[in-house]
Amino acid sequence: MIEFRHLRKEYPAANGTLVALDDINLSIENGVIYGIIGLSGAGKSTLVRCINLLERPTAGEIVIDGEDLVKASGKRLREIRRNIGMIFQGFNLLEQRTVEANVRFPLELVKTPKEQANRRIDELLRLVGLQDKAKAYPSQISGGQKQRVAIARALATGPKYLLCDEATSALDPNTTNSILELLKDINRKLGVTIVIITHEMKVVESICSYVAVIDKSKIVEHGKVAELFSCPKSEIAKELILPGLIRSESTPGNKLRLIFDGSVTDKPLISALSRECGVEVNILFADTKTIDGKIFGHMVIAMPNDDRAVAEIKSFLDKNGVTYKEGI
Amino acid sequence: MSELLKQLFQSGEIYKHAWITIWTTLLSTFIAYLIGLPIGVLLNVTDKEGLRPCVPLNRALGLIVNILRSMPFVILMVAFLPVAKFFVGSSTGNAAMLVMLIIAAAPYVARLVESSLKEVDRGVIEAARSMGASDLQIIFKVFLPEAKPSLIVGAVISTVTILGYSAMASTIGGDGLGKVAIIYGHQRFNEDIIWVCVAFTVVIVQIIQEVGIFIAHKTDKRIRKIKKRRVL
Repeated sequence: MIEFRHLRKEYPAANGTLVALDDINLSIENGVIYGIIGLSGAGKSTLVRCINLLERPTAGEIVIDGEDLVKASGKRLREIRRNIGMIFQGFNLLEQRTVEANVRFPLELVKTPKEQANRRIDELLRLVGLQDKAKAYPSQISGGQKQRVAIARALATGPKYLLCDEATSALDPNTTNSILELLKDINRKLGVTIVIITHEMKVVESICSYVAVIDKSKIVEHGKVAELFSCPKSEIAKELILPGLIRSESTPGNKLRLIFDGSVTDKPLISALSRECGVEVNILFADTKTIDGKIFGHMVIAMPNDDRAVAEIKSFLDKNGVTYKEGI
Repeated sequence: MSELLKQLFQSGEIYKHAWITIWTTLLSTFIAYLIGLPIGVLLNVTDKEGLRPCVPLNRALGLIVNILRSMPFVILMVAFLPVAKFFVGSSTGNAAMLVMLIIAAAPYVARLVESSLKEVDRGVIEAARSMGASDLQIIFKVFLPEAKPSLIVGAVISTVTILGYSAMASTIGGDGLGKVAIIYGHQRFNEDIIWVCVAFTVVIVQIIQEVGIFIAHKTDKRIRKIKKRRVL
């Protein structure tokens, strides 16, 4: 388990100090995929760097499996770090080493016997699907492949935790999905606890089971991803879920947010609503997708200025099993 | 062609001096690297953004390097005569020249090494750290191998610079093409001898550069793609 207790990080700045993290308290249970989401500059990268002490906090504790990292000695800290893999937005591969030698790097650090290292590298390259690229250099492979190498390298010493710092932000959507699938696989097969830092709700939505939202150096809300989606409390969470809608004041009047959590099967819901209730609804925002015939996502519709029509709409939604919330 | 030049060729004197220029240059560059490389690494590591920041040490080292680097070689040679005497027992001749070349080259090498190491991506250093690498492991397994092509290019530049210095070393009685050009050429009004020396140095410099750059390209794994494209 990773626990932050009253974590604080300050940087010296031109005019006084800059607070990057302010009283962070959070627990990440073992075996989960935990997302930490926020806009750039919110402090999320600093937070993840504190987990393996690449950044030393100004105050507070980082406790991993009961041990406070801040108090660990240099040698002990390096041992702990071998139990926490990390991948980065920029991949950070050693450019002068082949794919295979990159994966070998962490094994070299702990002087793993060659035979054993070779077997491990083989295993890892198979896991990430890059056996045929073993002898290639980073400059010869694509971004997605580079991230796969980075993942294999991060897992070489068999860590219990894997930190992903914007690991998919430099990749195109298809590659992003394949990397996320790989991470999900690793979590399931190897039981590795994964912490994902991202600014994209899609990433959280597709693989995380828990999420913490960070804004202006503070954690503003955290919990299960499903809960955050159905009732985001903070402004920033709403902004992340319904991008662009919160700030726009262009559509006054009552709004209704429909939440699709997979309990509704795919059908032309809005047109049915319009026909049965005899009202016209305006869709202000929609981000839904169909997976296995079930709808997931959100939709915000404008309500007519007529209490009876509103009541009818609500009863229609109740009848069809759609969760909704007034306002946004 | 002047008589003297003919003599120089016939007696093989000119070739002897060319060889002296080559080996004093290579030997002093090599020894300068033995001293300058660790200092360059230390400069990088102790920098306030470095692996192990230590500002006082960094400043002190930087100051020594800067002082030595700002001294023109001719002045440095006469200023450090006692040092040569201390190390090789004489303040003139080829041994003294080697000492001078090393004193002049080592700080130069240190700065070149420092800047080569600066080119290594900080993200890669961070990744190595996240894998539990110690500072020494980062230096030997990340910094130096990743900077290798740039270090080789730096070595070529310093070799050529030292070759230039070695020509001036005739002032303290060092042998080499510089001596031939000044004593047999300039002082005895044989302009053709000067130009023969120029031709020799140009050839030597070209060989050093071509070989060095070839090795640098050959070892750099980052540019393979571009090279391939060029072939196609």
